[in-house]
This record gives sequence, structure tokens and C-alpha cells, in this order.
Amino acid sequence: MAGLELLSDQGYRLDGRKASELRKVQARTSVFAQADGSAYLEQGNTKALAVVYGPHETRGSRSKSLHDRAVINCQYSMATFSTAERKRRPHGDRKSSEMSLHLKQTFEAAVLTELYPRSQIDIYVKILQADGGNYSACVNAATLALVDAGIPMRDYVCACTAGFVEDTPLADLCHAEESGGGMSLALALLPRNGNIALLQMDARLHQDHLDALIEAAMTACKGLSKVLDGVVRQHLEEVSVLTRD
Amino acid sequence: MIKTEKVLHLNSSKGRKVRVVREHYVREQVSCGSSLCQADCRNDGKVLSGDVTHCVVPDVGVVRDFLEILEFRELQGIVLTQTAYQTVQHTRGRRQYNRLRALLKDPRHDCVLFANEFQQYCYCPRDKGESQDKWHTRNVYNAAVWYYNHLAGLQPVVMITEDSDAISEFSALNSGVYVISTKEYLLSFWPDLQAAHDLYNSIAQTLQERESEGVEKVYTEHLPAEVLEAGIKSGRYIQGILSVNKHQAQLEAFVRYEGSASKNTELNSDVLINGAKHHNRAVHGDVVVIELLPRNEWKGRTMALTEGQGEEQPLEDTQSQPMPSGRVVGILQRNWRDYVVTFPPLEEVQSQSRNSQKILVIPWDYRIPKIRISTQQAEALQDRRVIVRLDSWESTSVYPTGHCVRVLGKAGELETEIQTILVENCIHVPTFSEAQLREMPVNTEENPWQMDTSEVSSRRDLRDTHLVFSIDPKGCEDVDDTLSVRTLPGGKRLELGVHIADVTYFVREGSLTDLEARSRATTCYLADRRYDMLPAVLSADLCSLLGGVDRYAMSVLWELDAETLDVCTVWYGRTLIRSSYQLHYELAQSLLNGEEIEVPELSRLKGSQRDQKLAELLQGLETLTRVARHLRAQRDKGGALELEGVEVRAQLDEEKNITALVPKQPLEVHETVAECMIYANHWVARKIQESFPHQALLRHHPPPKQEFFNHLIGCAKARGFSIDTRSNRALADSLERAVDPQDPLVNKLMRMMATQAMSNALYFSTGACPEEQYYHYGLALDRYTHFTSPIRRYADVLVHRLLMAAIQLEEEGSLSKPFASNKELEELAQHINNKNRAAQHAQKQSTELFQCLYFRDKDTHTDERCVADAVIYAVRTNGFLAFVPQYGLKGAVYLKNREGQVVSVDGDGRCEWKAGIFTFSVRISVEPSRCHADSLCLELISNKPHCAVQPESLPAGRGRSELVQEVVRWAEEASIQAEEERGRKSKLSREEKQFRQSRTPSLYVLLQEISELALLDLSVCAPFESGLILLTEVLS
Repeated sequence: MAGLELLSDQGYRLDGRKASELRKVQARTSVFAQADGSAYLEQGNTKALAVVYGPHETRGSRSKSLHDRAVINCQYSMATFSTAERKRRPHGDRKSSEMSLHLKQTFEAAVLTELYPRSQIDIYVKILQADGGNYSACVNAATLALVDAGIPMRDYVCACTAGFVEDTPLADLCHAEESGGGMSLALALLPRNGNIALLQMDARLHQDHLDALIEAAMTACKGLSKVLDGVVRQHLEEVSVLTRD
Repeated sequence: MIKTEKVLHLNSSKGRKVRVVREHYVREQVSCGSSLCQADCRNDGKVLSGDVTHCVVPDVGVVRDFLEILEFRELQGIVLTQTAYQTVQHTRGRRQYNRLRALLKDPRHDCVLFANEFQQYCYCPRDKGESQDKWHTRNVYNAAVWYYNHLAGLQPVVMITEDSDAISEFSALNSGVYVISTKEYLLSFWPDLQAAHDLYNSIAQTLQERESEGVEKVYTEHLPAEVLEAGIKSGRYIQGILSVNKHQAQLEAFVRYEGSASKNTELNSDVLINGAKHHNRAVHGDVVVIELLPRNEWKGRTMALTEGQGEEQPLEDTQSQPMPSGRVVGILQRNWRDYVVTFPPLEEVQSQSRNSQKILVIPWDYRIPKIRISTQQAEALQDRRVIVRLDSWESTSVYPTGHCVRVLGKAGELETEIQTILVENCIHVPTFSEAQLREMPVNTEENPWQMDTSEVSSRRDLRDTHLVFSIDPKGCEDVDDTLSVRTLPGGKRLELGVHIADVTYFVREGSLTDLEARSRATTCYLADRRYDMLPAVLSADLCSLLGGVDRYAMSVLWELDAETLDVCTVWYGRTLIRSSYQLHYELAQSLLNGEEIEVPELSRLKGSQRDQKLAELLQGLETLTRVARHLRAQRDKGGALELEGVEVRAQLDEEKNITALVPKQPLEVHETVAECMIYANHWVARKIQESFPHQALLRHHPPPKQEFFNHLIGCAKARGFSIDTRSNRALADSLERAVDPQDPLVNKLMRMMATQAMSNALYFSTGACPEEQYYHYGLALDRYTHFTSPIRRYADVLVHRLLMAAIQLEEEGSLSKPFASNKELEELAQHINNKNRAAQHAQKQSTELFQCLYFRDKDTHTDERCVADAVIYAVRTNGFLAFVPQYGLKGAVYLKNREGQVVSVDGDGRCEWKAGIFTFSVRISVEPSRCHADSLCLELISNKPHCAVQPESLPAGRGRSELVQEVVRWAEEASIQAEEERGRKSKLSREEKQFRQSRTPSLYVLLQEISELALLDLSVCAPFESGLILLTEVLS
């Protein structure tokens, strides 16, 4: 059996997208009433649920709290049914802890934490179905949840992955592309001023290609920000219609 | 875009079945790839031509099993669906997939890929419970219907399938698409394409046979790929390429390691795979995975010479030290190509099997096992040579199964044998197609070709300022190099110029001619003919730098200091030249020697004018010689090697009769020209490497491994010489010293052995190789490339383009279009290397063929010509290897025949064993072989030299060139007779035309090849096959 061809000669990817096309993104905010903010986001077949509590007083030991800004606490987990084979350990493993840390870094850069000294914001994200780009789905969902919770942020944080095949950058990789060799770069962007909240890549790539790759990922993030913005505005409209009555 | 989902069942990495859901996006705009498109699809790339009568959409099964039929260039308007494409990718090996890709990329082939699964209206999801094949067929049908509607019914669409249910089901739907079977399609649309019909029948029969296979296991099953991969990683198994011993095909094969995977130090040599059982269906060239056998089962390799090549013989105690042995447990990559086989005569067929449908045929290549073929044409094909492709080798079958592709002709005929050689070396040289010839500029009597005025103004005009001349062998048509030299005003500086035919002007990158030249990569010279890389209008006319006409050229001009001859400045660029003299080597040498000789270009002039011109030319030649001597001396200082070369060259007149024999030593002027070319190549290499440090095409010659020199050192020691092989300089010096004044052959043989120890010079891309490996060992240059023969080598064409790009980069600071990346260039370099090697093998095999034809009808016992002197250069347990200088032959001589009788020496009766080189006489006869190439047999007749050692007086007419000519003459006569028998007038023209092609390439070529050691690939050829044959052959 000949191996997978990530980008065909005609420029199609495995799932029929062109190199710079994103997967279909669908999202909804305020899915749970109990939490302060919540959102559900589908990025292709990757489905993520984000819930935000806070800002509230620091729970547990007082020593963790900071006098000048809020602490952001992130927890990432994957549902046992999220992958093709049932997952044994939904959270707490090495990968999840790393992902939690990355999320924390991302949102510390975006949330205006200095407005809430000595308090804490909890972000819980769960992947319901994993099909590549888990990190970016989590960031996007959490952004919506934060907006829903009314926590002030500098900008939307939009994240997207990008890969590199045969001298062409591919935007928003699916699982088959991520696992089918090649590399993947994750980028979280504050689209309005173009600041990068997080950039992560653990593969070898020639220096010459890096700029093109980041450029592709940024374009993808900007595209995503429009979608997220649309979701928020639509939600606002719905809500305002409801409250008017 | 609309998102749908697709459910797949895949195997996970642990081997379990996993259900996977994949997204699948479909869209409305998918390019259709047809020039008749009405909906303005964005069709970039290849487009189907609009002038075909119909387009054909093959079903999945057809593409999978009958891809070879779709490869016929006659079939046009093929729309391959993505469904079929992906099925080939998933179910067939990488080779077939790559072939399909190549087919789609090849602009000479009228077919496109239609991404039907991404088209919104073509794609249909799989129904519950629908089988995969049905689903695929339905998708292909939907695509065909869409295609028909998309083209608004302008073109009939035919879908071909092998599924009879589908035919009945879909034919009933009145959608405008014809659904028929492949056979019916071929019959109704291509009734004249007999080859396709035959191929279809042959494949169909093989498929049928495969279904009704027996179950008795002959070989152990191959292990699954995951197990192999894990085994290789853990070091339990070893991966390598199987190479079968030519003389012991059934028994011995070796596997050479790939990479340094094994840390086991005792396994630094090859691994022996002994016996067909252990080969386990691997064929020569396959990438296999082997497991080592326990130490007590290790065997040694056979050292004895065997006569019956390929036949199993009881082995006695002729084995050497046991070496690591193993068995094949799996095959990673089949490396099957087209094989030439011979059908056995009818009597044998019947005894072979009860039903005469399955026939065992014997491949021409000794290393390939017999192939089982199902055919009903056995009677018609007996004693024919046929091209066969292998299909499979089941564990239940002793032999692999294959199918016929094309009949070449009757075994033993010259044409058939030449074709056989071409096929066996994968050299594909169809005549140039009309489309390719249409690209060519016209140059006829009525419509002469003229220079472009814009080109004239953009090039540097050297027509009036420079005295340009070429030196080539007599009668050369494709002059690709000319020279000029002059003293610059002031007298302080010399200007040396090398002007090369500007092929890239005529052959634009990406044009059909360019693609054809790229796939041929080199002009292929056989003993009696040649196959050109470029069409004749270019190679013999417009590119050729003929005398007295204006031509485009690429020039390198050096300004040298007149005294020290150091380079002051170099200029590269496009020029216009008019060659004033088209000299040949002998003429040039005579001029240099001060002889009174007529120069044809000056015969019309008279008196003082003529003397003046002659003096001018003479001065040019002398300066050139002086410069060349200086260059040579410089290279010698660096350690350049001079290796064994030429013997005799025959000159021919119009009727192909030998008119003169040129003396054995190459003239100095040969070396002069060669030296200038090497210099030009060197400077161009420096230039392009500086401009493109990661993607320049260079040529390097890796230093040889020291252990290959052991034989040479041993032989030299026997004669009392010591050979120092530590560096090329030391080797050159010690070879220079190893001269026996009594016997000039000794030095020649030494140099020959040294040549054999070397590896091939190879092209490479600079980005793929560390800088210290750029060195050219044979020429002792740190950078080298090929620049000077773009008419007959594709590498030179590439280098020309690189040089032009480098000049542009320098002048304008940017490139108009990016040059090929390192990866592409490296792939291309590999391709050219392979093609060069194939061409060399073909050349050598054709020489051997002519040798055999020459000796075939001679009575070995009476004919004088069958007895010759020979020199022993290696000893085996039951015989020795000998070299016959008179014919340039090498071969084995047996001291023990098959009955075990030993040659006894009477007379003075003393038989001394001494190592090294000594002379004796042999009788040459042809050993006929029906299925393989005939081989020459040497027989010892006396331990005294046949004629006293006086090499100068060797009958000169016994050269190889004569041999070739004679054989060609026989073939001609035979064909004339045949023509006459048919009651027609004898028609010589075709033969004449064909054979007159065999123009000698310039001798410079030869010298260059010698000095570059572009010799045989040692790993493939039998030990100590003649490198010399190859070299001398370039001349004839």
C-alpha cells in the first residue's frame, strides 16, 4: 500500500480542502446556565466544550493568590469517547497537563487580569471528539466562554494550526494530516494588533520556511476571529431580543 | 463548500480494526481538465485535447488491473477519476501508484485526473451494506454522467468497466454515457491497435489463472509489514537489496546492507542467501528483509568458475570460508521491470505441462528465475523473444507468474538482439513524435533557418573578431564544441575561448523535446548505431557548430597571462560564432607537425592570402597546444590519473569499407582538445556552485575503497612493482613507474586493473552532498561538471540553464523564475546517472553481441583468426581469468572440464605455478545459448605465446571496429538476400541510412570518459569484466 498523499497534485488535501481553507467552524455560547460562561465549538470534527467560572476568590491555599492580578487556572481534559479507541485516562496525564499549561499561558496574555487582584478565573475545557487541532479548538472555545462570562480581554484569542507539505503551508490540520508525517505548528493570535499569544512547534523545519508557515497560520487565525465575532454578535442579538420582551 | 462525513474502517497501529470518521468536503467548482469545458473551470496544468472523438472513464477495476493498457499513447481522452486513483494508491504498491502518477504528469499522454469525490454532484456517500467495489463503481459512473453533462454533451463519454453487473445496471439508465467492457471498448474503438488487444488478453488470462490457483505451499509466507518494520528496528532482521550472482543464479545471492543499521561488527560483509528456498520469491533488485541463520548453517561462497550458468550443479568442496548466511523473510519493495524472455520450442512445451496454456519461459537475464506465463499463442511464439512483466509470485508457486507485453522477434537475429539489449537496460527510444518535431525550427533548402534579430543584438558577436575552429573525428555531424585562441592587443594577455552549442536556446525548459531529452538523458551509442537524445534537425544541423555558418553558442572566455598562463579574468555568456575551420584530428596533428597538407577550407584561396590564413591557423593551434600542456601539467601535479585507453580505430568511407586504420596512440591534439574541455567544465562548475550553493549540478568521483586495490597490488608485486594507492597522486606516480620495457602490455593491464578498482563518477546536486565530497578523484579537480556536450547529454543542458541563471542573477540580482530545488535536482541527477549506466551496459552488451556474431561462423580449429594470445590476470580453483589483447576480450579459461578431466601439459611438461601475469595462447569459440546472449568460450591450447610477443606487429585489421563492420555487413547481405528472394529489387537505402548513423562521437568524448572513469558499475558486472571494451567501443 502506498502511503498517504497529504496534498494531491491538483492541490486537494485528504478531505477535499485546498491548502489555505479552514474546516467548518460552528459554535454556540451560553450552553450551560450554572456556569458564569460557557461555549461549545466544533472545528470540523474536533468538538470542544469550555466552561468559565469567576472571577472569584482564590480557593484552596491563599498563598497562590497574587496581589496585583487574577490567577488563571486552566484544566484540559479529553472525554474517554473522544478518540477512535476508548481513552483510559481522561485527564491528568502528561499531555493534558502540558496542554493545561499552554492554555494558561495563552489566556494570561489575553485576559486583563490586573483588573481582578487577589482573585481567580477558572477555565475548564473538555474535548468531546478529537480530530486534530485540539489545542486551537480549546482556545477558541475558551475565548467564547470568557466573552460569555463577561471577563474583559484585550482581544479575541484565536488559535489555529498549520503544517507544511511539499513547500506549501496547510492551514488547520485534521487528525490524518497531523499523524501522517510532517509537522504541525500551533499559533494563538490576538488578531487586531497581530500579537502572538503562543507559538508552539516541536518538529524540524528549515528556517527559510518558518515565515511562510507563520504567515499562513496568522491568516487562518484572522479568518477564525471573524467567525467567532459573528457567533458572539449573533448570540448578543438573540439575548437582547429575549430581554426586550 | 459543504461538509459531509465519511466512515472508514482502518487498521490501527496495533493491528486492531478501528472505525474512523473523516470529514469530507465537497464543492461545486472542481476543475474538469477538458479543453471543451463550457463552465469556465480553472484548468491549469494538463488539459485534455478537444479533438478526440470521445473521452473514456475507466472504472476502478480497469485502472487497478489494466493500467498497462491505459499506458498506450494511442488511447486519448482518458479521464481518470479520483476514486480509481486512490484505489490504486491503497491497494497496489508504490510502484504502480508512481507509474500512474507519472502517466498523469506526462504531457505526451492525453489523460487527466478528475477529482470527482470532491465534486458536490458527483460524490455519493456509501449506502448501508453496499460493498466497496459497488460503491466505487457507482461513484465512477456518477462522475462520468456529470462529465458528460458538464461538457454539455459536446463529447460522447464512455465508461469502461470489468463488472458485468454494472454494465447491465447502468446501460439501462439513459444518461448519455455508454457503459461497456474493456474488451468491447478496444474492439469497437481501437480495432487496429493489435498490441493493446494482445496485452489485454494476456493480462485477463493471468488474472483468471490466479483465481484458480492451487494451495500447495512451496515457500514460506512473507511476514506482514509491521512485523518487518519492528524487526528491522530491533535489529532482528536486516534490510538490504538482493543481488543475485550471475553465475549461480539458483543458488547464490547476496544482500548488501543499506545504511549502518547493524552495529554487529562481524557482519560488515554481505550476507549470503543460499538456495531458492531461502530466496523466498525475491527477485534480483528487490528490497528485502532477511533474517540471519544460526552459525552452524552458514555457508561459504563458491570460488570455482562454472560453465553452465544458471544450472544447478553439485557443488563439491570448492567452497571458501563460511560467511554470514540468511534467509529472506519479507519483501519491502519489489523492483520488477520489463524482462525479455525466450519461448521454448514446441516439443519442450508439451513435455512441460499437461495443459499447454501455462508455459515456463526463460529470461534473458541469468539472474531472473523462469517465469510462468499463460498464453494460447505458444506455438506462434516459439523461439521468439518476448517482453514480459511479472504479476505476482504466490507462495504456492515455484515460479513467478507474468504476462506477455510485446513480441520482439526471432531469437538470434541482429535486430531482435539489439532490441533485447535495449529493453533489458530499460532504454526506451521511440522515434520522435510529430508533436515534438513540430516544435523544431525548420531548416530546408527552400526555407532556410535564420537568426533572430533580437537574439543577434543581445548576444556578444564573435563572428568577425575571433578565429573559431573545431577539431573532431572525421565525418562528425554533431559538433558541440569549438575553440578559439588569440593574443589580445598589447601582447600581454592571451584569450582562450571554448564555445559550446547553445542547445538551451532551441530546447526550452518544459517543452516536449525537453521532456523527451530528459527521459532519455543521453544519446545511446551501440556498436553499430546510435539513438539520439535530440531530434536530428538540432543535433546534426542547427545546434551543431558546423564550419562556415552562423550559429548560437555558449562561450567561456579566459584571459590568460601570456607568460605564466595564469587566469586573469573569465567571461561566460551567450555568443554568436562562425566556425572558420572544421578540422579533424589527423589534419590538425599534421599541421602541428609541420607537414604540407591541404586544408579544405583554404583550397579555393590562392597564393599569399592562403599562406597568411594558414599561418594564422597554425599559430592558433600551437598556442592552444602550449596552453593545454600547461593545464595538463597543473592537473598532474594535483594527482590526475591516466588510465588505459584505445587500441585501433578504423576509418570508413561512404560504403562502410575500411579505408585506413589510425595508429594506436592517441595524438597529442586529442589531449589538447580534451584538456580545454575539462578546463571549461571545471570553470563552469565553479561558477554555478558559487551562484547556487545548494542546487548546482556537479559531477564528482569518490575515491575508491582501498580493498579494491588488493588485486592490483598483488599482481604488481608478482612482477616486482609496488603500487601505492594512498592517494590519486601516489597511484598515478606508481603506475607511471610500473613499466616493463620488454612487455608494454604489463603497464596497460595494470592501468586497466586500477580502472576497475574505481567507482563511477556521478552527477549530484550540491545541496545533497557535503562540500568535501565534491572532489573529482580521477581528474584531481575540486569542482567538476559537464558543460561541453549538450547535444548528447542532458546533464549539460541542465548546466547550461544553471549557468544562464547564474549570469542573470549576477546582472539583474534576481531570477525571472526559480530554478529547480535541491530535491528535484538530486532526483534528476539520480535519473541521469541511472540512464548513463544503462546506456553503458547496453553499449557493452552490444559489443559482446557483435563479438559473438563475428566468431559464430568461424571454424574454430582451422581459422587462424580464432587463435590468439592471452594474458592471465587472476586464478581460480578450476581455471583462470584471461585477457586477450588482440580483441580486447576477457574471459574464463577452464583447466578442468565438466567430466573432471584436467588439462595436461606435455612437451617439456613443466607446469609452474606462479602468480601474476604471463602469456599463453587460447582458441576462441562461441558457446551458443538459445535463451541468453551467446558467450565466447576460451580454450587453452598452448602455454607458449601463439605469436612471439611483438605487439607492434599484431595484425591491425583485427580490431574491434572491423569486427563490428563485418557483422553489420553480414546482416546487410542476409537482408538483401531475403529481399531478393521475395522477388523484389534489393533495397539498401534503409539499412544504409540506419547504419550510417553510427557516426563516431568525437574522440574527446572518449578521452574524457577514460579520464573520468565513467566505467562499469562494479557491483553489477561480473568480476573483472572488461572496462576496456567499453572504452574502445566509444570509438567504433
